[in-house]
Amino acid sequence: MRTPGTTVLPMLRILLGSQQTGLILVILLLGAVLSVFAGYHVDRTTGELVNNFLNSRTLMQTATDASFFVIMAVGATMVIISGGIDLSVGSIYALSGVMTAMVLRSMDLEGPFAVVALAVLTCVSLGVLCGLLNGLMVVGLRVHPFIVTLGTMWVFRGVAFVASEAESILVPQPLTDAIKLSFGADALYPMPMIIMLLITAAGAVYLSRTVMGRHIFAVGGNVEAGRYAGLRIDRILVGVYVVSGLTAGIAALVGSSYYGSASCADATGYELYVIASAVVGGASLRGGRGSAVNAMLGAMLIVLIRQSIRTLHLDQNYEWVVIGCAIIVAVVLDQVNRRLTARRLAGAGAG
Amino acid sequence: MASNRTNPYIEFDRITKRFPGVTALDEVTFGIEAGTCHAVVGENGAGKSTLGRILTGIYDLDGGEIRMDGRPVQLVEPGDALDLGIGMVHQELVFCENLTVAENLCLGSLPARGGFVSERKMADRALRLLSAIEAEMNVDTPIGELPVAQQQLVQIAAALGSGARVIVFDEPTSSLSHVEAERLRENIRHLKSKGVTSIYISHDLDEIFRLCDVVTVLRDGRHVATRPVAELDRPALINLMIGRTFEAYFPSHVDTEPGREMLAVENLSSPGRFEDVSFSVRSGEVLALAGLVGAGRTEVLQAVFGLDPMATGRISVSGRPARIRHPIDAMRSGIGLVPEDRKRFGLVLSLRVEQNIGLPTLASRSDFGWIRGRREEDLARDYVRRLSVRPDNVRYDTTGLSGGNQQKVVLAKWLAANCPILLIDEPTRGVDVGAKSEMHALIDQLAHEGTAIVLVSSELPEVLNLSTRILVLRSGRVAGELSREEADQGAVMRVMAGV
Repeated sequence: MRTPGTTVLPMLRILLGSQQTGLILVILLLGAVLSVFAGYHVDRTTGELVNNFLNSRTLMQTATDASFFVIMAVGATMVIISGGIDLSVGSIYALSGVMTAMVLRSMDLEGPFAVVALAVLTCVSLGVLCGLLNGLMVVGLRVHPFIVTLGTMWVFRGVAFVASEAESILVPQPLTDAIKLSFGADALYPMPMIIMLLITAAGAVYLSRTVMGRHIFAVGGNVEAGRYAGLRIDRILVGVYVVSGLTAGIAALVGSSYYGSASCADATGYELYVIASAVVGGASLRGGRGSAVNAMLGAMLIVLIRQSIRTLHLDQNYEWVVIGCAIIVAVVLDQVNRRLTARRLAGAGAG
Repeated sequence: MASNRTNPYIEFDRITKRFPGVTALDEVTFGIEAGTCHAVVGENGAGKSTLGRILTGIYDLDGGEIRMDGRPVQLVEPGDALDLGIGMVHQELVFCENLTVAENLCLGSLPARGGFVSERKMADRALRLLSAIEAEMNVDTPIGELPVAQQQLVQIAAALGSGARVIVFDEPTSSLSHVEAERLRENIRHLKSKGVTSIYISHDLDEIFRLCDVVTVLRDGRHVATRPVAELDRPALINLMIGRTFEAYFPSHVDTEPGREMLAVENLSSPGRFEDVSFSVRSGEVLALAGLVGAGRTEVLQAVFGLDPMATGRISVSGRPARIRHPIDAMRSGIGLVPEDRKRFGLVLSLRVEQNIGLPTLASRSDFGWIRGRREEDLARDYVRRLSVRPDNVRYDTTGLSGGNQQKVVLAKWLAANCPILLIDEPTRGVDVGAKSEMHALIDQLAHEGTAIVLVSSELPEVLNLSTRILVLRSGRVAGELSREEADQGAVMRVMAGV
């Protein structure tokens, strides 16, 4: 039987070796470095000396920037775990945002609750509808999801462009009020961050505790074994694209409400940030591996790197270079770690 | 014996290899004479593949020394082994499947002029390499389209072409048919006549008696014996391998009185695969489908399990007609399929043992889509104990298990589904003697408990040992049925081959 000594040591090793711990450590380290080098400024109202990074407003702003990516990354991670990819999430964001703003404007509802309820319903259903379309095409046409979602990436954004006539559309005030609830704090808007945490938690629970979640891992790990185990492969695959569309719709709702308007150019290029977040969070593009919480941490790391360029007053033109390098480094480190583990396992199993 | 004469060609001296938690090889010492075919046998986990990988530079040593011609050699990476003339034919073949035979054979140094590949020179060189082992094939065929047996020949040709004087074969016949395996053995004999030393790692004892001159037995990472094959017989060799007596390993099979009819298949056909196959299985019966590779045995099982959308015919379960268009329909009717090739069809290697065992029944054991983690773990633990899967930790990664234990997990999946009808395809391919006899005992016990079993196996002794009836397929049609009494190896072979 187990003695305490034999369980504590492996658990410690698992904790230290786990990617989650690694990501958290890197994020904390980067935060610490930023705080040290950010410098200080004098707050005009209170006259106190304030750290340029380590202050509630900057931290909250960073979290808000991350929240849009994170919400989408939770859905995109599921697609990636299933062995697919969804390039259309940025366009789904734009389409749902624009269409929702247009629907709201044309309806001109009375009362803040009706506005919020209709906005949630429209935006989320549009996202789900786009995801369903992706999923049905991936399964029905038997075309690689990269191609299908590359196509719909342009189609969805094109529809948004045509529908909005390339104009930015204002979002009704009640929505902005709702997302900018400050709960008494002065000029701090934690709602996007709260939604982000809720979605991440829901995604994590879905992946680890539900049958659908487990089926996604099984299909991504080995489709054939899944088929032999009687899984409905097609339904599972459609399901992940629907979830990805759903999260893009939610992100659009949060984003357009926060910024007060929606435009067909919103979230351009977000799909790559989202995929990068999932991958930095350890998801394997071959499928079978990934986690919602890690995708959130991955997105936070990317946003933090972006933030550090601003805070440290580095040349902003290098932002993409730095982020690009950081993604490659993160994934290489992860793979080195995984290869070491795999070698150990293969060695132990070989006769 | 040879100790006071010259040194052996290859000497393993106190070879030690450790992996975290396991000592795979523990001070293994023995020698291999030049020009012999030297078998290395042992159960899974005995360390035989590890030894092969050390000699070919895939693994580093943790202790000890390897000497060739009396001189110590350093084998740090596969390139070192190749430089010393040691090549390897792997169990799982390593090729660029999309490239042709010629391209694969010349991949290391493509003949080129000014950066352009010379197709003609490449084909010439490939044909020359293949003719050295008297193999004939179209070198312009993409290698992925060739049968495994031919791919192995290409690998042997590649090893010899790189100047190998020693070739390590790691379970080379595990995925070959009888005929193909015999052809491979013929090739190895031919290599011997040319002075090449073969090191032959295998589970298959028959093969060792037919092919090898000397056999080294490993058990639990330790060297047990190195003897000329001629001095041993089968039971003696098994005793050395398992350290127990032979009888204990092959329990006598209990005949259960068959019960009511569980599964009836009538006129099952699938274009291009099999035609007009009918059979029925009763509770407590083991019906074996025998036949050569390509006879359509696996395909019949797949069709019964709902994996073949083209299949037509009638299937009834417990006397009632069943419409089976998808594995889920089959499962609802109480049919389970333990597939061949556990890595491709049986397991999701990225999932843990408990998650694999629970997979087919996950939905039905959940509460409105929520996984009951505790229930899953208990279920898995129960089957891991019953089938004595090692290690018995259900949270273990499936990748880390040996072949025999992976096979047990695949079986556990379907036992956990409580299927009264089990279709079992090649349950003991690539597993060691111990795991094989455990698997046999399990199948026996299942039948005894009333499960109706349809068994496909390429090993005739297994078929004869386990089955109550044998249905022989030939080129997709039923060629005959034999009862246990009238069946012996010769009779089944004759029906299988149609002579």
